Amino acid sequence: MDQIIVSLLNGIIYGLLLFMVSAGLTLIFGMMGVLNFAHASFYMLGAYFAYTLQGTIGFWAAIVLAPVLVGGIGVVVERFFLRKVHHHGHAHELLLTFGLSFIIAESIKLFFGNYPVDYRVPNALDFSAFTIGGMQYPMYRLLMGGVAIAMFIVIYLLLTRTRVGIVVRSAIYKPHMAEALGHNVPMVFMGVFGVGAALAGLAGAVAGAFYTTNPNMALELGVMVFVVVVVGGLGSLGGAMLSSIIIGIITSLAVGVDASVADLFAYFGAGEWARSIGGLMTLKLSSMSATIPFALMLLILLVRPSGLMGEKA
Amino acid sequence: MQKSTYKNIVIAPALALFAGIAVAAPVKIGVLESLSGPQASTGLLYRTATKYGVDKINAAGGWNGEPVQFVEYDNQGGPAGASDKLKAAIADGVQIIVQGASSAVAGQITEDIRKHNLRNPGKEIIFINVGAEAMELIGEKCNFHHFRFGSNAQVRTKALVNAMKQANAIGSKVYSINQNYSWGQDMEQAISDNASSGGYKVVVKTLHDVNKIQDFAPYVTKINAANADTVLTGNWSNDLLLMMKATKAAGLKVRFGTTYLDQPGNLGNAGDVAVGHYVVQTFNPEAAGADGERFIADYKARTGHEPVFIEPQTAFGMAMVADALRRTKPEAGALNVNAFAKALESAKVKTPMGEITVRASDHQALQPMAVSVVTKDAKYKVDNTDMGFKPVKRFTAEEAATPVQSSCNMKRPA
Repeated sequence: MDQIIVSLLNGIIYGLLLFMVSAGLTLIFGMMGVLNFAHASFYMLGAYFAYTLQGTIGFWAAIVLAPVLVGGIGVVVERFFLRKVHHHGHAHELLLTFGLSFIIAESIKLFFGNYPVDYRVPNALDFSAFTIGGMQYPMYRLLMGGVAIAMFIVIYLLLTRTRVGIVVRSAIYKPHMAEALGHNVPMVFMGVFGVGAALAGLAGAVAGAFYTTNPNMALELGVMVFVVVVVGGLGSLGGAMLSSIIIGIITSLAVGVDASVADLFAYFGAGEWARSIGGLMTLKLSSMSATIPFALMLLILLVRPSGLMGEKA
Repeated sequence: MQKSTYKNIVIAPALALFAGIAVAAPVKIGVLESLSGPQASTGLLYRTATKYGVDKINAAGGWNGEPVQFVEYDNQGGPAGASDKLKAAIADGVQIIVQGASSAVAGQITEDIRKHNLRNPGKEIIFINVGAEAMELIGEKCNFHHFRFGSNAQVRTKALVNAMKQANAIGSKVYSINQNYSWGQDMEQAISDNASSGGYKVVVKTLHDVNKIQDFAPYVTKINAANADTVLTGNWSNDLLLMMKATKAAGLKVRFGTTYLDQPGNLGNAGDVAVGHYVVQTFNPEAAGADGERFIADYKARTGHEPVFIEPQTAFGMAMVADALRRTKPEAGALNVNAFAKALESAKVKTPMGEITVRASDHQALQPMAVSVVTKDAKYKVDNTDMGFKPVKRFTAEEAATPVQSSCNMKRPA
């Protein structure tokens, strides 16, 4: 029982981390229609900036400043690169951000080397929150989850309850009308992109210390972020939250299941036969827990192509 | 008439030029590694160490009175790239191919070379594998033109288990966790095979996806539920780091026995989490003594850094190549690869760790191994931390060796 509770908690927190990274991606796509391939690279930049800054200004200040810097880079990318190719359509934007992701990864290697850097959870936060079933639960995990939830609430309120939200939404649905009313639409787009990048940067700054900060971290998380956004529905913040948590919990629980298809057959007395076939039949569920999200994505694309909470295309 | 004269003028010197090259062909050693992309960090180390080996050969006079040429090819991290670049290397006249960073890539290269050599008798290529450790490379795929100067899962696990048992650090319950591909599966097999000699029981065996998992907390929950004393793992890079950090965060008192903990960056990122964990190595500076110090100083002078991770074994492998080259006489001014391979089978090199030889039946190098533990009182610190690898036990090449696999059926040239 304890083990299931811990697994659920692990899954939820990991899901919340996925949400932190994918929130910016879904925001940028939902608002601007730009599918940003370099999004996970902003996550990586956030981790490296925080690592560099923490030595001089301390951990907390670094966590605040790193996303601001990443947001600044996002603004530059939008203003000087994306805007130039915007009227050529999606393919150009996609290729541009794709190229950007390589450039960021190689630049990181140039400055910080090929190996993981020693960005770690500060000692003051490195303690356990509670003990359950003989295992301590790290405080820092709860903190990561808390940051993600706070992030969700702030973005949601900002978009639905404030004047800024109204301007942003109107700039998306009726750009010409918004412009006629005196709002600077290109500026709004630039801001949205910057904020989206900053959100990824924040996730990187927070999670980089707990996991590892290395030049491949964007690659490792990059694909998963797209899975989250597709399953949740492109552009839906609530959808991203829902799918993140579902994916987190499923992968966490799957690790604990050492059963295979052959075991299922064994219930019907055909276990020996199934085992003799081998291959897929005897593959343990736990050995493919990281693959399950992709299977889920395929399923969603088949049954509900717009995603769990996406608008009907 | 005029045309043919013109042709003669051009062709005759060109032919003479080619003939000249054929007579005085220098030996080319080509590194076929991941020099870009996510695995470049390891590929670049292999390149540096191979270059060091070639420089040593040239410092000793090269081969056939000419310096040996060092060329590099970027396999872009995968078997497909390696296959392409191998063709380029063969076209460039490379006769000795060096690679080590991936068993998948090595599997491709050794098969390609086998086929090339079948189709082009007299123009054989040789593969010097300095680190790809999958068992099949000296098992089902074993090949006369493939030599391995790395170790393998059976060798590493045998030494690791033996040393940890003597240090009273293995306990009775072992959790086996590995990456789900050839190397990890070999490790899982080796961990089970050594259970009786190590006096432990493998409580759970887990295979997981390679480099795809960010969050190892669910696995830690499983290790806790299994009540394991020790985790034995062949994991490398991020998968190893993340798992160690997650175990520490959960406050588990479990010891790790690893194969690649000495990869650069690991101790730096893990911090105190790593203290007390074990690693099996092909070279340990503290265990190698005064000879080791000389080797380290020389390596640093030539490459700018101390040899780490897989660099020593690569340098030792290249020393074996140098030894064999020295004993291979040129035939018509060129290197006969088959004669060179035969010389390599009888090569014998004294390294700071001890003597290395090659087993002729499967071309696996027999080399000494060391098992070390991470402590703060190690002589050589790594990653700018206050920690290092303190040797616990050394094994001579004979002690470390494991039997030839029955699946190896090597076809030798007549």
